[in-house]
Amino acid sequence: MKKVVVMFLLTGLMCIGGAIDFSHAGEIDLLLQKLVDKGVLTPGEAQQVRTETKEEMRKEIVQGKSETLPGWLQTMKLKGDFRFRVQNNHPKTAGQSENERLRARIRLRLGLEAKVNDQLLVAAGFATGTTDTSSADAARSTNQTLGDSFAKKAINLDYAYAQYTPVGWAVFTAGKMKLLPWEPADLIWDTDITPEGAAVQLSKNINSKTTIFFTSMLGVIDELSSESSDPVMYVLQPGVQYQLSDTVSLKGAFSYYDFANIKGRALDGSTGTNSHSSGSYLRYNYRPISPAIEIGIKEPFKAIGINVPYASLFGEYVNNIAISSKNKSGYALGFKVGAEKIQKWGDWDLKYIYAMLEKDAVPDILPDSDRYGGKTGIRSHEVMFNYGLSKNTFFGVDVYRSWALASAQAPETIVQLDWNMKF
Amino acid sequence: MRATIKLLVVGALIVGFALPCYAAKIVIEGSTTVLPIAQKAAEVFMDKDGKADISVRGGGSSVGIASMIDGTCDIAGASRAIKDSELDKAIANSRNPVAHVVAMDGIAVIVNPSNNVNALTKKQVKDIYTGKISNWADVGGKNEQIVIISRDTPSGTYEAFGELALEKDKVRPDALLQASNQAVASVVSRTPGAIGYVGLGYVNSAVKAVTVNGIMASKETVLSGTYPISRPLFMYTNGQPSGEVKAFMDFVKSSEGQRIAEEQGFVGLK
Repeated sequence: MKKVVVMFLLTGLMCIGGAIDFSHAGEIDLLLQKLVDKGVLTPGEAQQVRTETKEEMRKEIVQGKSETLPGWLQTMKLKGDFRFRVQNNHPKTAGQSENERLRARIRLRLGLEAKVNDQLLVAAGFATGTTDTSSADAARSTNQTLGDSFAKKAINLDYAYAQYTPVGWAVFTAGKMKLLPWEPADLIWDTDITPEGAAVQLSKNINSKTTIFFTSMLGVIDELSSESSDPVMYVLQPGVQYQLSDTVSLKGAFSYYDFANIKGRALDGSTGTNSHSSGSYLRYNYRPISPAIEIGIKEPFKAIGINVPYASLFGEYVNNIAISSKNKSGYALGFKVGAEKIQKWGDWDLKYIYAMLEKDAVPDILPDSDRYGGKTGIRSHEVMFNYGLSKNTFFGVDVYRSWALASAQAPETIVQLDWNMKF
Repeated sequence: MRATIKLLVVGALIVGFALPCYAAKIVIEGSTTVLPIAQKAAEVFMDKDGKADISVRGGGSSVGIASMIDGTCDIAGASRAIKDSELDKAIANSRNPVAHVVAMDGIAVIVNPSNNVNALTKKQVKDIYTGKISNWADVGGKNEQIVIISRDTPSGTYEAFGELALEKDKVRPDALLQASNQAVASVVSRTPGAIGYVGLGYVNSAVKAVTVNGIMASKETVLSGTYPISRPLFMYTNGQPSGEVKAFMDFVKSSEGQRIAEEQGFVGLK
């Protein structure tokens, strides 16, 4: 009983006294020590009170109910990252004449999350990049090339959405979303794309080893004032994550996409590599299906005495079932070894992906902008190496070597040297 | 026909309400470190209370907390405090995780009694176990190779030592792995250049515990949180426990429950 009374008093004192972030922890320790010295509490009870009081305070702050901080400070989160990149493009044209380009580029992203109530949050993100919708980079890149006689650079709205979580296993999102269907090898989507529309994500632990998930999305591709049938995207993705053993996990998903009402239209950000009926008007609609799988293994080489914390093998396949002609499929295979997440000095990972994407597998407004400029009708090798420099900062090298499948164009090589910082 | 439907609905409701009462058992899930305390405490508690039905399973702290949030377990064992992201999810799911400290985990660093090294810093312990330091002369001892003794990887002590002392780095691959705390103490007691780590309850006169950052591992320094290789162990419930869950939590925190925690190699709070 005395322990409960002490805990109650301490929690009250911390709230009233404006003790935030446990900055008064030293004083509380002193108080508890006095109570131990006087025989009111045992050392074990003091430890119990100390820890459980801190946990209660943390919960109050997360809930935004503490009186010690302004409400907005407790319910808002600010995060971001900055990347300095040196990029070398080494393309060869059909005539084999070399056209080298060396650029310094920056990327700044700032994200804000604000809780409206326990179930509802609003998020917004701002990033460098271009809003020129004729360029593939408008949707697919947040890089800003340095130059133009020190001109100021633009910051654009990267995403803005509302997210409603009525129960822990269901999330509803609407707006310009920082949300893409899961895929392990970035075959279909450039990860910089922030789709516009609404999505439902369901995720449920079936047992201690199995989680099933389901993502459904309705995306607005374009809005045409003169048309009633605007280009839209429907996505359905059921999937499962299964822990095969303490060290081996499996994740798989099957995606169905329907890009409707795009036939006969010219889309913003197109790289012009899909089939066209005339000019830049698309010949087909696109309904790709895509199975994908990833196997993760912790300490995979332990048996032979090599200390690598994590490795994964992954692959995806895509086939546009809306058309019966050739050139409508693609696949990607890859592996990753090293740290599961770069967190500190000396953590490293190495990743390799081979991707092949035929010209009408997916709309050419989607693929990774670093693989041959984000075009379809390509094949590409990518090797990426990251090395942790300290907490929240790491160095990366990313090398792409890509070819056009159909034309006589020779390979393009891109080398990116990155210094990444998160905050 | 309508009567039959009414009967079916009423029957389903009765069965629906009756089932949870019939299957009123406590499910504990989570940390493999907390698992031995939960298992032994459940065993003793069920012996005392014939009606109690407790199911205990591992899976790790994250799994236990996720299950508590989803409502598939009553008590989550955790060797770490709940994360902010998990609290967010719990709140969104209308859950109220309440932390109960059920024991302290303290790991003593031991050497052979013939070794003249009495003190190490936490960084030196890390450097020894990750291979940066391999001779006792580098930490003020004799010119002698360090023999690394470690628990085997499935062990909760191995996991705890990795997190608390090695900051998640891995033990050097040529370490001699032992299946129990007793085995670690035994090998260290017989090997002059050896270093090992054991739960506080396993330090005996055949080995010598060294100070870490100037603090000797003891019940007092672990309970006060001053010994650097120590941490609280938790059980989380949804809200303040009631009924059978409260009775079990009270038992775990009682002198008898804390004695069970000490028998499993942890530091009891009583």
